[in-house]
Amino acid sequence: MLTSPQLSALQAIIPAERIHCDADSLDRYGQDWTRYTRPQAAAVVFPLSIEEVQAVVRWANAQGVAIVPSGGRTGLSGGAVAAQGEVVLSFERMNRIDQFDPLARTVRCQAGVVTAALQAFAQEQGLLYPVDFASSGSSQIGGNIATNAGGIRVVRYGMTRDWIAGLTVVTGSGELLQCNLGLNKNNSGYDFRHLFIGSEGTLGLVVEATVRLCDPAPPSAVLLLAVPQLPDIMAVFHAFRSRLTLQAFEFFSDQALTHVLAARQAQPPLAERQPFYVLLECELPPSADDAPVLQAFEHCLEQGWVVDGVLAQSQQQARALWRLREGISAAITPRTPYKNDIAVVISRLPDFVSWLQALLARDYPDFEVLWYGHIGDGNLHINVLKPESWELEEFRHACEAVNKQVFALVAEFAGSMSAEHGVGLLKRDYLGVTRSAADIALMRGVKAVFDPNNIMNPGKLLRRAG
Amino acid sequence: MKVLVAVKRVVDYNVKVRVKADGSDVDVANVKMSMNPFDEIAVEEAVRLKEAGKATEIVVVSMGVKQCEETLRTALAMGADRAILVETDTELQPLAVAKLLKAVADKEQPQLLIVGKQAIDDDANQTGQMAAALLGWAQGTFASKVDVAAETVDVTREIDGGLETVKLRLPAVVTADLRLNEPRFIKLPNIMAAKKKPLEKTSPADLGVDVTPRLKTLKVAEPAKRSAGIKVANAAELVAKLKNDAKVL
Repeated sequence: MLTSPQLSALQAIIPAERIHCDADSLDRYGQDWTRYTRPQAAAVVFPLSIEEVQAVVRWANAQGVAIVPSGGRTGLSGGAVAAQGEVVLSFERMNRIDQFDPLARTVRCQAGVVTAALQAFAQEQGLLYPVDFASSGSSQIGGNIATNAGGIRVVRYGMTRDWIAGLTVVTGSGELLQCNLGLNKNNSGYDFRHLFIGSEGTLGLVVEATVRLCDPAPPSAVLLLAVPQLPDIMAVFHAFRSRLTLQAFEFFSDQALTHVLAARQAQPPLAERQPFYVLLECELPPSADDAPVLQAFEHCLEQGWVVDGVLAQSQQQARALWRLREGISAAITPRTPYKNDIAVVISRLPDFVSWLQALLARDYPDFEVLWYGHIGDGNLHINVLKPESWELEEFRHACEAVNKQVFALVAEFAGSMSAEHGVGLLKRDYLGVTRSAADIALMRGVKAVFDPNNIMNPGKLLRRAG
Repeated sequence: MKVLVAVKRVVDYNVKVRVKADGSDVDVANVKMSMNPFDEIAVEEAVRLKEAGKATEIVVVSMGVKQCEETLRTALAMGADRAILVETDTELQPLAVAKLLKAVADKEQPQLLIVGKQAIDDDANQTGQMAAALLGWAQGTFASKVDVAAETVDVTREIDGGLETVKLRLPAVVTADLRLNEPRFIKLPNIMAAKKKPLEKTSPADLGVDVTPRLKTLKVAEPAKRSAGIKVANAAELVAKLKNDAKVL
């Protein structure tokens, strides 16, 4: 709750109709896609301009109120959760796309531009914004930047970081910074842009971004392959990547497929089920000749890595195959899955996976564990489903016990405890799996420089001091 | 029973086509081409008839440019046994296609000719009907269910406001509608095997058919753009707008 002097001071900078304090708004804007924390926001503000954002930050510093930056709230680590009486600063109304530069192939977006709107804008210009994920219809560019969002085309186009040519940010102390100015080449000292990308709102607020666009993707083929053994997936990856340019290389387990088919009331794409499937999309040569695709498949078949597969014959079939992968997250949401998002260097993935499979089978045989993810990037999403009869708290504690062991293995393989979902609240206490004590101490130091009064998303990413 | 299925190569259903600047046609350079979705349903139905032991051989035929070979290979991968390409660079109109189909049917003597109810590029919805007339065969159009017996076929047709079931004496022509079946995903091993299945090439001249176009396209234009919506202040204004501007009340 804000005190009445705090509220009147806020109303002096933002008109009252853009400050929401009703229970419904506080609940809706106080949380993201994670459902583990009860939202407790004090207010939601909807600024329209950079000046208003700066004014709110100055107000928060003066009043000692914390700010949670808020975009599409599709995060999976609790980074946008307001559970401690913070003020949520929503970028929903700052959603302008302007200053398209066809020569530089960049466009400027306000933080609240929805990813799909940017993608559609690029398409209208005959270009592509290639970062894409299942939540692109809701997620906003500012949130993508704050979490350095990845998704399904990372194997071809990289993460959000690779597409940001310039950033306008308001720091935790209310200063306005122009980072990198949209330049291609700019060796003029520390590049703050990269500090803000992936900072999860702990240093300041991204208010505008200059985003790079690229040529549209060439014609591609979409395949679904049936793979009996998980570690063989990397051999399949190599077989295809050495012959073709991969646009995406995803995998999921038959159990995950079962959930999607049940939710969508669909038929399995292959009558004979196998434990794992690879969904891959590869660029075709200009002649659209699928010979290299068949060669790669034949090789995998001969080696026994793959036992069957289908090739989409139309865009409609391609989309139907993609829905099998993209539908997993939504299909299992009713089971409140405990999500893991880990990564190791791909060359170590087969070994890592064998160890992890053994660990889960030995210690947690009763849990239903679903495997899927962007395996071409070494990124696994391991989802543990809550048994119907368990209470949420009890389940969460059990999963945290599993986590300790999983993360010990991640540390042993020098992997990441959060490949693309970010750290937020949920993964905060495991940061040490991937980052050293010296790293974390320096991160605190950086935060103190940009956000001296610790008003920016406190408690996310880094545990509160003391 | 031998089944003949005709397949057409068209711009993929999901491609947003653009009209050429001179308004003469749509621009199909470098766009994704696929089998006409209704023809895909026709092939699927034939394959199901074969899997059910009712059909013994499936012959697929396509007409047009050399690249139609790819469409035929797709049909072979779905389960057709052999393919015929009537190769020509001439633009083929429904009557010409129907005449070619008659010529191929005279040669192959199938009991059943299945085609898609229409092609999604020109939406003519004529070929199946005209082929049936030229052949003097019975026709069951807009089929949502096909039940083959020894001498006859029952075809459930999608008609306005309901379904109609007709019994046709074989040989017959059936045109496939959307709800007849859902085409399968094609297995990669079948795609490899399809490359080795027989594909025979012929031409309109070989079949003795004159395919010279008889219709001339005058103009191709894009649909009118929808104008942006407006907000009204109250119900009275809405009623006024509907009455005076939209003229729907």
